[in-house]
Amino acid sequence: MSATHVHAEEWTGEDVDIGDVERALSDLRSRSAHETEGPDLRTSVMTHLAWVPEEWREAAVETLAGLGEHHPSRVILLFPAPRGPDGIDAKVSVLAFPLAAQRRHIAAEVIELTLHGRMSEAPASIVIPLLVSGLPVFLRWRGRPPFGAPEAEQLVEVCDRLVVDSREWPDVPDAYGQLPFERTACSDIAWRRTEPWRRALAGLWPGIEEAGELRVRGPIAEASLLAGWLRSRLDRKLDVAYERAEELDDVAVDGEPCPAPRRQQSASDLLSAELDEFGRDPVYEAAAAAAID
Amino acid sequence: MTELAENPLLAGLGPRRTPEPCALVVFGASGDLTHRKIFPALYALADRRLLPESFAVVGVARSDWTDDEFRDRMEHAVREFGRDDFRQETWDWLAGAARYVATDFADEGGEDRLRETLAEVDEERGTRGNRVYYLAVPPSTMETIVVALGKRRAPQGWTRLIVEKPFGHDLGSAHELTEKISRYFAEEEVFRIDHYLGKETVQNMLALRFANGIFEPIWNRQFIDHVQITVAESLGIEGRAGFYEQAGAIRDIFQNHMLQLVALTAMEPPIDFTADSVRNEKVKVLKAMHTPGPKHIVRGQYGPGYVEGKEVPGYREEEGVAPDSATETYVAAKLFVDNWRWADTPFYVRTGKRLPRRETAIGIQFKRAPHPPFEEAATEELRPNLLLVHVQPDEGVSLAIGAKVPGQGMRIRTVHMDFMYGGAFRTDLPEAYERMLLDAMLGDQTLFTRSDEVEEQWALVDAIVSAWKRDRPAFPNYAAGTWGPPSAEDLMRRDGRDWLRN
Repeated sequence: MSATHVHAEEWTGEDVDIGDVERALSDLRSRSAHETEGPDLRTSVMTHLAWVPEEWREAAVETLAGLGEHHPSRVILLFPAPRGPDGIDAKVSVLAFPLAAQRRHIAAEVIELTLHGRMSEAPASIVIPLLVSGLPVFLRWRGRPPFGAPEAEQLVEVCDRLVVDSREWPDVPDAYGQLPFERTACSDIAWRRTEPWRRALAGLWPGIEEAGELRVRGPIAEASLLAGWLRSRLDRKLDVAYERAEELDDVAVDGEPCPAPRRQQSASDLLSAELDEFGRDPVYEAAAAAAID
Repeated sequence: MTELAENPLLAGLGPRRTPEPCALVVFGASGDLTHRKIFPALYALADRRLLPESFAVVGVARSDWTDDEFRDRMEHAVREFGRDDFRQETWDWLAGAARYVATDFADEGGEDRLRETLAEVDEERGTRGNRVYYLAVPPSTMETIVVALGKRRAPQGWTRLIVEKPFGHDLGSAHELTEKISRYFAEEEVFRIDHYLGKETVQNMLALRFANGIFEPIWNRQFIDHVQITVAESLGIEGRAGFYEQAGAIRDIFQNHMLQLVALTAMEPPIDFTADSVRNEKVKVLKAMHTPGPKHIVRGQYGPGYVEGKEVPGYREEEGVAPDSATETYVAAKLFVDNWRWADTPFYVRTGKRLPRRETAIGIQFKRAPHPPFEEAATEELRPNLLLVHVQPDEGVSLAIGAKVPGQGMRIRTVHMDFMYGGAFRTDLPEAYERMLLDAMLGDQTLFTRSDEVEEQWALVDAIVSAWKRDRPAFPNYAAGTWGPPSAEDLMRRDGRDWLRN
């Protein structure tokens, strides 16, 4: 290992092995405890894995910055860099969040691993030693998962819940057919964004029981999920007209506009909400299947 | 929920609890509670989109305000006391739903104006005649309002009545108030609020006990040495002499918050988490509770002293307090719950004002290990296992266990394993009033006190207070900033125990 520096909050190393990372974590925890007035608390509810291809790095870091406050468990960010010689570069941080009205801190651990060369083809063997024992593993996959490729297959096996944002996918709605519902629970942040509109549409019941046409202005992912949801819940065919837009902002059924819900949530809030969900979501699964029609 | 069964679009949207359209009518809208708690709670609910889209809030008070003045004052209250960043969009929505009626509660014309306003609100906001009346008023005014509301019930929709504590001032008056309310409102429509039950950590006591297989088998007299509950306040009476001189610590805290904490700690597992199942079990505890006699009750009143470095006056020097007042600002008691689970296991409880710090905690002290195979010197720093539920502040749970001190030889000392709410769930804990308001709108009475529960609480308090009438206490008997009178220490020491200091 060729560690560059070690200090209380952060450690980085190039061409490291997992043992180096574990030792760094232990060392940082110990130093962090000495710098605060009481020992930092480690209270974990999950391991949060994220697979972040280079083009998603900036967005992922931004989302996580807003997330740390809510889910201070162990976060493992995997940055695949398939070109070049094999090796792992690591950055380990122990972040101390102050607990309100107390002199103690809560420790969150963030492990950033850049997987060079063929290391990016065997991510499960790298992360398994770092998972918090006995707690669920959430995998956030940035961009379109290459279902069938080794890295996706391995990490799906490791996780208890796969979290995607199909708005990041270029090939919806067809890609919904590849979601591994039978192997792990799946969540879709695009689906979460439709929730206020689904509530608003539910408020139109029973007036929309015989709905025949849906008009949606918004991203194609949310629009197709909304259409799939209505088809599956009403168990009827539905003509759908899409108009592309940055955000979901207009929905009408049979020409009647649906009342717009109030405020949308931030990216961090949306991911945070998904990390609070356990188990399969049959309504989403049915909506995704029906979105392909 | 029949609505879910009939509407397939609601499937998967279940977890969010949104009440039906309704109007919340707050009596006492110019009061402190409305400013500090009710409106900030409404704002927090609105910000999280937990209020129904068709919603209105109508403030009712004597102050001669217009709708706009009321909205301005409530906006200030939300900005000052709200737990969230102020969001104009949320406030505009809530302000748009707010109306105000200036009236004396005994004024027939005022009641008619309120009825007209509510009819307008039903028309404009679609609240469908559904009403939640919040009586944030002194007990003396309550009866007048109850009668007026009862006589003017809306012809359609449902009605719920939230009643603030204190509910009566003894068993007789509580029973009388229940009788009067029941002439107009069914028990299912009455929501007696004890905001302690809305606190996350109080509810977590139920989760801790009944969702964890490891605790319930040892939650009994065989393994628990005693239970001690502290509800300590560092504040004085904060200008509430009029109320406090009549109530004292026993009616302000002991009768409601304290006995609720005892009931939640001692109750048997309910068969489900419905309102009546939970409350049935709490009532059984209250019925089984007794104190072994006047010697096991300590009352106190603070004199001058120092709290958090500041010199503070004694109770009798507080504005509005009689210079020879015999009102207690401190109560400690040894209680027993006479049932199979708890026979002979003491519950020590204490509550007081001007104590060294604000703290509410439930301590479950387990019996010592029967035969530690270590030398005595190795375990001299070892205390019995203690499960400490921190209700406020520092919400969470600590378990004190013995652990080996690293190094040569065998030395064992006590260490605390902490679960801090803020650590595991880094989300702001909702204020108790948010939960209580939402539950009332939803018609969920689980966290509200039933009439028989209140009456059992008062029966115990009456027994204690009647013994106090026989003698005049030598007050003040503890200095502000201390943990109460020396006799409270004696209460524990006689039994070979001590109050927890952390």
